[in-house]
Amino acid sequence: MRRHGRDSLPISIHRRRIYLMPTRFGVMLGAILAAMLMAGLNYNSNLALGFAFLMSSVAFVIMHHCNRNLQRLSVDVTTEVDAFAGREAIFEFALRNGSNVDRCDIEARCLTGSGMGSVPARESGTIEVIAPVVRRGVTRVRQFELRTRYPFGWFFSWTYVQGLITIYVAPAPAGTKTLPSAGAKGTGTHSETRGEEDFSGLRAYEPGVPLKHMAWKVLARGGEAAVRSYSSLAAQPEWLEWSSLDGMALEARLSQLCLWVLESDAAQRPYGLRIPGREIAPSGGAAHRFACLRALASFGSDHTAEPER
Amino acid sequence: MITDRVSYERLLGISGCLGLALLAHVTTLPLWLLFIVVACGSIRLLLARSGRSAPPRGILIAVAALAMPLLFLRFHTFNGLVAGTALLSVTAGLKLLETKTQRDIYIITLIIYFVSLAALLEGDSFWLLAYLIGVCWLTTATLLRATSNGPAPGWRRSLRYGGRVLAQALPLALVFWLLFPRLASPLWQIPNDSKTAASGLSDTMSPGDITQLALSDEVAFRVRFESAAPPAAERYWRGPVLDSFDGHTWTRATSGIGGTPPPLQPQGPAYHYTVMMEPHQHRWIFMLDWPSAWDRPHAELSNDYTLMQYEPLSRPIDVAGTSYTHVQYSEPLKPRTRARDLQQPRGRNARTQQLAREMRDAHPDDMDLVSAVLDMFHQQPFYYTLTPPKLADNSVDEFLFDTKRGFCGHYASAFAALMRAAGIPARVVTGYHGGTLNPYGDYWILRQSEAHAWTEVWIEGRGWMRIDPTAAIAPERVERGLADAVSADDPLASRWQRNTSWFVGARLRLDLLREVWRERILDFNQDSQRKLLEFLKVPEPDGQKLVMVLAAAMALVLAWLTWQIHRELAPPSKDVAARTYARLCAKLAAAGIARLPHEGAEAYALRVAQLRPDLADTVTALCRHYSSLRYATPSARITLGQFQAGVRAFRPKAL
Repeated sequence: MRRHGRDSLPISIHRRRIYLMPTRFGVMLGAILAAMLMAGLNYNSNLALGFAFLMSSVAFVIMHHCNRNLQRLSVDVTTEVDAFAGREAIFEFALRNGSNVDRCDIEARCLTGSGMGSVPARESGTIEVIAPVVRRGVTRVRQFELRTRYPFGWFFSWTYVQGLITIYVAPAPAGTKTLPSAGAKGTGTHSETRGEEDFSGLRAYEPGVPLKHMAWKVLARGGEAAVRSYSSLAAQPEWLEWSSLDGMALEARLSQLCLWVLESDAAQRPYGLRIPGREIAPSGGAAHRFACLRALASFGSDHTAEPER
Repeated sequence: MITDRVSYERLLGISGCLGLALLAHVTTLPLWLLFIVVACGSIRLLLARSGRSAPPRGILIAVAALAMPLLFLRFHTFNGLVAGTALLSVTAGLKLLETKTQRDIYIITLIIYFVSLAALLEGDSFWLLAYLIGVCWLTTATLLRATSNGPAPGWRRSLRYGGRVLAQALPLALVFWLLFPRLASPLWQIPNDSKTAASGLSDTMSPGDITQLALSDEVAFRVRFESAAPPAAERYWRGPVLDSFDGHTWTRATSGIGGTPPPLQPQGPAYHYTVMMEPHQHRWIFMLDWPSAWDRPHAELSNDYTLMQYEPLSRPIDVAGTSYTHVQYSEPLKPRTRARDLQQPRGRNARTQQLAREMRDAHPDDMDLVSAVLDMFHQQPFYYTLTPPKLADNSVDEFLFDTKRGFCGHYASAFAALMRAAGIPARVVTGYHGGTLNPYGDYWILRQSEAHAWTEVWIEGRGWMRIDPTAAIAPERVERGLADAVSADDPLASRWQRNTSWFVGARLRLDLLREVWRERILDFNQDSQRKLLEFLKVPEPDGQKLVMVLAAAMALVLAWLTWQIHRELAPPSKDVAARTYARLCAKLAAAGIARLPHEGAEAYALRVAQLRPDLADTVTALCRHYSSLRYATPSARITLGQFQAGVRAFRPKAL
């Protein structure tokens, strides 16, 4: 396998980096074609020979078509992926097909997962690859693969793209401890009941939002999927502290912190995170949540998370 | 993906293709076998329709256990074309029955391809080839539908895709077909299990045998003369010579090749010609009487001057030959041959013996006797007819004295019998006579209806001499052909066809197509390849040069194919200005300044001018030209040609 160094994404796949092999079925076809040729030659039948040559040429054309299916396909991939340990990471491959031919049955592979999709001529499409991740931490995927068996499955061609996908695997949210604030009630006045007056605006939808917060009316009107966001002005910023979990094992501690982050986020309360070597000032929203989760994911590794956007 | 359950739709498609491929074998495969395959397919389809999976393995084993012994009983072997095809068909049927996954469908497509090829080993018509290519087209489209993930592409799209693949494959296949070296002899012995029955003349003749042939329009062979053809009265095509007579049937006494033919002294002109034989499953090749040279390696003249090859003729062949229509024997008849050619069955045809003795007494000279017998045929009320009465054991007696109605076989048989009874060695020769000239292709067609029988008698001092008693009774037959010779009430099937000129013309044109197909396609061989190389002006063509030409042609076609396939990825712009501009951008990119995707012509020129002041003037001018060509009114001062010339002359140096 050739090493290309890092490819700059999006990359248009050049034909020199596409590999091609016959599949098991392709090998069987080859054997049959060889038998057909032998029969034609031995019986000295020009028609049979012509037919065998035609079928062999068809196989040859198909080989080119298989190779072409990946050629000059423009590929991009999300470079940062967030996931929880023990669950799946979702990679989104964005494919753009600027050519006049349909690209069918393209399989993207990353880690142990794979996904399949087609991109019609002059269109774009995405392929989702779902791969399970087990351990907490920051994983870097330096190479992913695109492959195809189209058409007929006689051949498969594949190519490696040297990209860099960083997967922040946050600890699996778990723990028995309640949020620090939940014990010391009284500061938050509105946090339990949410009336119309709490409504402060709309924010972009992101996976994981409770369904009751969805702005269904906006969606019904034909707008983007949006989430109603509620102000919790009265809520005090809350510090989720590493030090408050003394005596627990490292991963259990991180899991508890992760759970707190998610609970606080769901409760629409501002929160900050303080772990050894890292302090994230109290805030709210998706970007903040991701920053906290990434901080937890990268805890203990020499990787320092990219500065929050 | 491989383990996907196959849907009813996919099963239906693949079963249909298999059925169409097997249809090409419907004449050679036993019907019960086709029934088994159809039954397997139908059962599986019915199961799939109601959403059920393949039947349990036990049923498969039962069907296999039933079919295999039947197959073996029928063919006694699994080796050989028909038996192999039968085995393959049963396998396909069973596979269809047990189809569970996509892999099974794959295997059935492979069987379809091979079964199609097997059909081409048996048949050789253009229509068969076209049909089978059609079947494979359909199979390929079905395969595309079966192998794609998600919803199967529509039939139209699949067929169009299959058609395009076939079209792209065609040039490569053609190059291979033309230039791939052919084997001079097969790699292994082909088991000869051809089910086609022997056709045409056989090596026995009873009176009335040839009558059956007279109704057949089937082509026996075609002949092309290098120069003028001999006159009709000399166009006798020599087949098996029959010299053993049992009173009813003439047979060949000497079977097999052996004994050198006695030397002949040719008289008159030599005729050079090529006989294009249709396969008839006999060993003889029809040559113009009397053959002296031929170019068939595995064939020899028998001692009675019939060209025989070692193997039965199972494929069409071409034989170039030379013949003399007039010859003289220079050696006396060997005593053993004389005894054989005088032999008569004892106690049969007594009246004929009596007549022969009487005529012999009246005509001591051999030639006089021959003339007297021919005169008798001519003067007495003998009739030439296609519907003669049946004759029993004493066939010659019955014919000469009672029925007096007969076809060429009757006359030849009776004449030879009379000659033998009179002490003159005589034998019956079968073959063809005459032929129809195809003016569109300048060759002669000999049909089964032109099968003929005549006699040869041994005249001391001259040798074997051809006597055609039919000429005495129906001279038109020898001069013009059968249709004019038989009585009007004979049921000659295609009489009206022969007399309708447009029909005759169309038939001859069709025959020409068939002949061209045979000569150019079916008979394409090493010799044709040598001629092809000569045509390509390759000096001293041989096998090695052939391979070199093949490699060169392949490289060309492959380059074309690659271009053709990859061209579709980025179709060349029809806009000349845009194309020329793209060339300019490519040149600049090579010089180190690539145009950014979002950059317009003017902005690009500006950036180039900043980065490379030396190119600033040229590039700014060219980019402005492009802008005015693309976007300004047609009255722009710069023409397309000038812009093109400017870009062509532009050669930026890389820094």
